[in-house]
Formats: sequence, C-alpha cells, structure tokens
Amino acid sequence: MTAPRETVRLGFLAAIEHPADCFVGGLLVTNHLGRPLEFQCTTPVRPNATQKILYGPTLKPFVLSELIGKTLFERSEVKPDLILVEQPELLELRAHVALPVACLGDGVQEPALVTVGAVEEPFAIGKQRLRIHARHDGDRDAILQRCHLLPKQADLREPFERVRDALREVLAPGAAR
Amino acid sequence: MNSPTDDPRGADGLDEILRDPGCAHVPLELPAELHAAGFNAALKRIPKIEPQAIPLLGRAPFVPAWKPHWPRLKVFRLTFPDGVEFLPTKPEPDANEDARPLRSLKPPEPDEGSAAPQRRTRLRPPADALSIEDRLFYVLQPPLESWLAGQELIMPFEPFPYQYQGIAWLFSRKSALLADEMGLGKTMQTITACRLLLRAGRVRRILLICPKPLIPNWQREFKQWAEELPVVTLEGDTARRKMLWTMPGIPILIANYELMVRDLDALCEEERPQFDLVVLDEAQRIKNRDSRTSEIAKAISRKRSWALTGTPIENRPEEMSSLFEFIEVVPPRGTPDLRQLQKLSKEHVLRRTKDLVMTDLPPRLDRDEHLQLNPAQELAYKTAEKEGIIQLNDLGESISIQHVFELVLRLKQITNFDPLTGESAKLDRLAADMEEVVASGGKAILFSQWTRCLDWIRDRMQERVPECGSLIYHGGVPTKQREPILSKFREDPDSHLLLMSYGTGAVGLNLQFAGYVFLFDRWWNPAVEDQAINRAHRIGQKSPVIVTRFICKDTVEERIDRVLREKRELFAAILGDSTASNRSLSLNASEIFGLFDLKARHGKGTRQIGPQSEEADGGKDAA
Repeated sequence: MTAPRETVRLGFLAAIEHPADCFVGGLLVTNHLGRPLEFQCTTPVRPNATQKILYGPTLKPFVLSELIGKTLFERSEVKPDLILVEQPELLELRAHVALPVACLGDGVQEPALVTVGAVEEPFAIGKQRLRIHARHDGDRDAILQRCHLLPKQADLREPFERVRDALREVLAPGAAR
Repeated sequence: MNSPTDDPRGADGLDEILRDPGCAHVPLELPAELHAAGFNAALKRIPKIEPQAIPLLGRAPFVPAWKPHWPRLKVFRLTFPDGVEFLPTKPEPDANEDARPLRSLKPPEPDEGSAAPQRRTRLRPPADALSIEDRLFYVLQPPLESWLAGQELIMPFEPFPYQYQGIAWLFSRKSALLADEMGLGKTMQTITACRLLLRAGRVRRILLICPKPLIPNWQREFKQWAEELPVVTLEGDTARRKMLWTMPGIPILIANYELMVRDLDALCEEERPQFDLVVLDEAQRIKNRDSRTSEIAKAISRKRSWALTGTPIENRPEEMSSLFEFIEVVPPRGTPDLRQLQKLSKEHVLRRTKDLVMTDLPPRLDRDEHLQLNPAQELAYKTAEKEGIIQLNDLGESISIQHVFELVLRLKQITNFDPLTGESAKLDRLAADMEEVVASGGKAILFSQWTRCLDWIRDRMQERVPECGSLIYHGGVPTKQREPILSKFREDPDSHLLLMSYGTGAVGLNLQFAGYVFLFDRWWNPAVEDQAINRAHRIGQKSPVIVTRFICKDTVEERIDRVLREKRELFAAILGDSTASNRSLSLNASEIFGLFDLKARHGKGTRQIGPQSEEADGGKDAA
C-alpha cells in the first residue's frame, strides 16, 4: 500500500462589494498546486441603515470576517489548512476560526493592516509576502511548516482573481443555478 | 372669589386634611356664593383629592432596545470532481544506465529577478454553458500556464501563446472544429486539452478516429505530450477489437476510420460503446454526409465532439454542414446557407494561419508579374492550343482527364519558353530582375516544375547574367552533391541564384538567407507554392521576402490562377481566412476540363489530378 501523497489545502477567501451596496464572499479551496477542490459563495449581504449607523467603521470587518468568512469556513466540506486573504478586513476572521489566516501584503505596512493588528514583519511564501494577526503570531510557524510543498514560483495572488471572477459570474444578471 | 385662606379653618385646616387623606371628610356645607358674573363659587372649592399609596416600580415598563440580528447566510457550494490520476510511466530499462541521457521534461524555471509579467491563459465558460455550476467550473480553473508549466502537468516544450489559446478553447468546448493551418500543432493542442479534461475529471473515455497511416504519429505525439496517459490502439482480430470497443477503463482509444465503420456497423444498438469525447482527425473524411463513414461517426454516442482538419472546405461550402452536423451544431440533414455558415464558423471554428501567429516574421511581399508572351512564343502557344482543343473535341466520349491534362502541360511549357525559337518573356523578366538582385548582393531562389526547364534557365542565365552564378538543385542531382550545392549557395557571395524544382526543393530546407523567390511556373496547388516560398520565408529570416509569380497573359496560366484564386476566396468567405494553404485547393477534374470550356465526361467532379507529391519529381518532369 502506498502512502497517501502529501498535500496542503489552501483556502482563498475574498469578498467583493456590489454596486447595490451589498457584500458577497467566496472561498476557493485548492490543492497546493492551485487545482480547485471546492468553491463556496454566500448570498449577498446588505446591511440596513441601522446596522450601518450602529456598526460604524467596524461594519465592514464584521460583515466580511465574522459574517461571511466564518460562515464560509464553517460550511465548507473540504476544510483548508490555511486561509489566505487579500483584504486586511478579512484578517479579523482569525478571531473566529481555529486555523491560520494570513493576509497577502507587500513590504509596506498598510494602514488597514495596522488597524486590524497585523504583525510588522511579513514573511515570504511562494512569490508573495504574508502577514498574520498580531494576536496569533504562532501562525507564522504553522504556515511555514505547511507551505513547504508550495512551488517557489507559486503565485498566491492569482487564485483571488478566480474567486473574484466567480463572484462576478454569480452576481451577473441571469446567473441561473 | 375667596382664597383658600378664607376658609374658616384657614391654611391649617387644609394642612390637616392633607395630612390625613384617608379619613378626610370634606364638609358639604361649605359656603357657595353666586357671583354677579355668574361664576359658580363652587369653583373656588378646594379640589377633592384622594391620594392612594402605590408601590414603587422595579424597572421601567418600556425601554427602546435593538438587537444586532443578521439573517442566516445561505451558501452555494461547488465541489470539483476528482480527476483521473495516472501513475508516471517507468523509464524503460536500459542495460547501460550511465550511457542513457538524462531526460528532463521540466521546463526551466524563470529567473527570480525576471520582471516580465507572467502571461496567463484563463479558461472561459463557453456560451452554451448555462448553469452556474458549469460556468464556475471553467472560471475557477487555474491559468493554463501554471497548470501545465512544471507544476502539476509536465510539458516537454513550452507551447506557443496561440497554442495555449487553442488548448483553452478546446477544453471548454462541447462542439469544436479546430481548423488550424497545417503545421501549427493541432495534434499537440488536442492531446493537451484531452489530458486536462481527464485530469479535471470532466471526461473519462475518449475515442480518437484518424486515417490509418496517421496512427503511429498520434501514438508518438501522445508519448511526447502526455506520457502518463494510457493510450490503446484498436487492432487485432474481430473479437479483440470488440473487447476493446466495450472495455471500460480505457481513457484513450485510437481507431482508424475503416475499423470504426466495420466494427461499429457490426455491433447491435445495445453493444455500441459510449464516449465522453469523440475526436475526428482529418475530419474532411466525413464531408460527404451520405457516406457510411459519416453516418457511423455521427451515430457514436458521445458528450463532446471535436473535429480536426486543416481543410474544412475542399470544394463546396456544404461540406462544412456535414462537419457541423458531426459536432452537433446543426440538426441532421440541416442545410445552413452561407450567412448561417459564417455565423457557425465564428462560434465553433478556430482557425489560425502562420501569418497570424508568427508575427515576428518579416513580411512576405507577393507580386504577380503578368507578362505578354513574345511574338514567336505567342504564335507557338496559339497554334498548340487550337490544335489541342480540336484534338480533344475529336476524341468525343473517349476524352479523359489525362488528355486535357497533357494539353495543359504542353501549353504551360510554351509559356515558359518556345522550344523552337527559345523565346521567353519570363526569362527576359528574370534576367532583368536578377541584375538588380546581383547588384544589391542578394540571393534568389527560383522554382519550376520541370527539371529540363531549370537546366535551360541555367544555360540561358549564364549567357545573359553570368555574374548571378546559377546553381541547380533538383531530383536529377545525385543526393551526395545536393548538400555542397546548398552550402555553396549559402556561403559563396558570387552565387546569387538557386534553381530548384518544387518536388525536391519545396520541403525541409532552410534557406532563410534568400530574400527573393521566383515562381517561374505555377504549381497545381498554392499549398505547394507556399511550402516552396517558406524555404526562404521562415523563422530566422531577417528581411522581407519578395515573391514574384510569373503569369503569362491570355494563357492557361491566367485561367488556372483565376480558379485557384476563387477557391481561396471561397475558403476566406466562410472561414475569414485569406491565406488558406492546403492540398484541397488543388484543381480537380471538373476544373481542368473547365479551362477549355469542356465538361467532364465521367462524374467524380472532385477528384484531384496532377502531381500530388514530391515523388512526382524524382529527376523526371512532373508531367
């Protein structure tokens, strides 16, 4: 009997803001080579006026992380080993899930990342640099340990394009299920 | 009006009442006076107050409150099918391991510092994919470059960008007609698309039908481009073939047209196999929709249908209808008109030509030189034509294509030069052009279909432009002498003209240092002419290539040129391709008869005549 092939599952979480003032999120789980294993997306979330007033600047991180990100992770059947995000607001998801969440970011510390508490020093995986939440600095080692399978030339930004295209496809008028 | 203090008990009395309200007794005999203004003095009376003891409340009865309620989110899920995993093939055992060259199939990794933006070929959902699951399947696939380039699937060579596009196009198509010009890699694109579909779990059983002689080629290409895919070729006796047709678990089955017809015809309805994808190579084999081959191919149960051909139209636009019927975009027996064919072509046909994809090549400048025959040449031509037509008419019903063909050849030879006087309008023009070529230090290649004509040109050119240093390369030249001739032409600055026959010089030679090509006479098929021109106009050529075609006015050459041009235009009208080059553009029997306003006596109007291959040369004249 042959040993199961070593693999790592990457979750690419992204959300887009629809012109109709609502948010839609998607989570693409791929293998370490980028081949899709599962995709999930939410129905559009539209905060009402009261919610906008009362949540204030915390509305977007709340909707994206706690509402959309957490739901998508909980409902996924193919659980990722690591969730990657591009939007700093989504880094808040780490407070609600028990697996590493990292945000793609270049060398410059973005103000939005500071707001959500990303650590100062990014580290490289594939062609990108990642930041993790300051309160979970143990994630760094966990990520480095799991991502050794990733090719050196892996472009971790590319799958986000797919997620956004898929969300646009879902939101397109006449999209039928 | 009296104030309360007017009460006989005074303010103290009121206080007393208020202190003990429970037993208050308000005397009714309080004086009431009626004032002149009519006010009732009762109004002055102290109000009757009956206070009650009420316990204090524990909490407020109403507090405005808001709970952050968010509706439960609905989630749409798409799970991708497991692809077929194939084990990598084991290297063939070799006694001398050390001597065996190491085979590295992985393409080199790009430089780390490389700042060039990475090209990405994304898969797009086809127009006929309606369900969101179908559409998302394509949208969420990785770009082909990362899918193929050394990550998950190993490619022996980096495909060209147009090949990536072709693979992506095929991958997402249920109905596809890939009509790339010969040599652009239809085979490789098809194999790679099949490979990706199998890997993605989109198909599990593929049938590939091709002409029998091409089976080894497909086997070799599968080995090269998809080493890990198990490919089974249909062969053996009837029982074995029947087993192969119906055996599950064969991802790719290759069969030839003849066996497909024979075997599937013999199987009853229930026994007939089902496939996820059927690919027809050289699909023009089913252009006749009444043929058994066409009927059987269309009857195969399948989910996807791809047709491969460089010649989707050979003679009539209707031939496309049969191909469209196979790929199931027109109903059985459907007869789309030209406009509908154009629309279907846009949607379901992918055709690229070398001109489109090899954009880094310098341009090819074509010019047709319409020459007037010299007087003696014209007399000889007219006499031969008149006599020839009379002879043909005298033959009556016994006339054959060969008779007409012989006349055409004789007339073409006279347009080259008059055998009696040696007059030649073409040679006059060639000599003038070569003087310019020699003066500019350039090199030219000249093609003719007759070796004797080439010899004649060499002799005359040595007399008229001796400095052009003519060399001869045709089937009559011994093989050992051929390479030194090419080397001399390449290296000797005094050798400016290479005279070649179409048969020997049209294929396989790299002469990209020559900037001029002369077609002294016309071949029957522009595809062969193109191949000849491509000896000079190919990768590596640094400057534009000037191609001169000699066509004598009011001769059979003009008429042949017109027929070939019309065929190209027909091809272009339907496929939007003006540079078609394929053997189907060759003249057929009806067209040869038509050159002299004669009608073919024996059906088979589409039979091709004339020399078909380079073997026709071989030291003898093409005729």
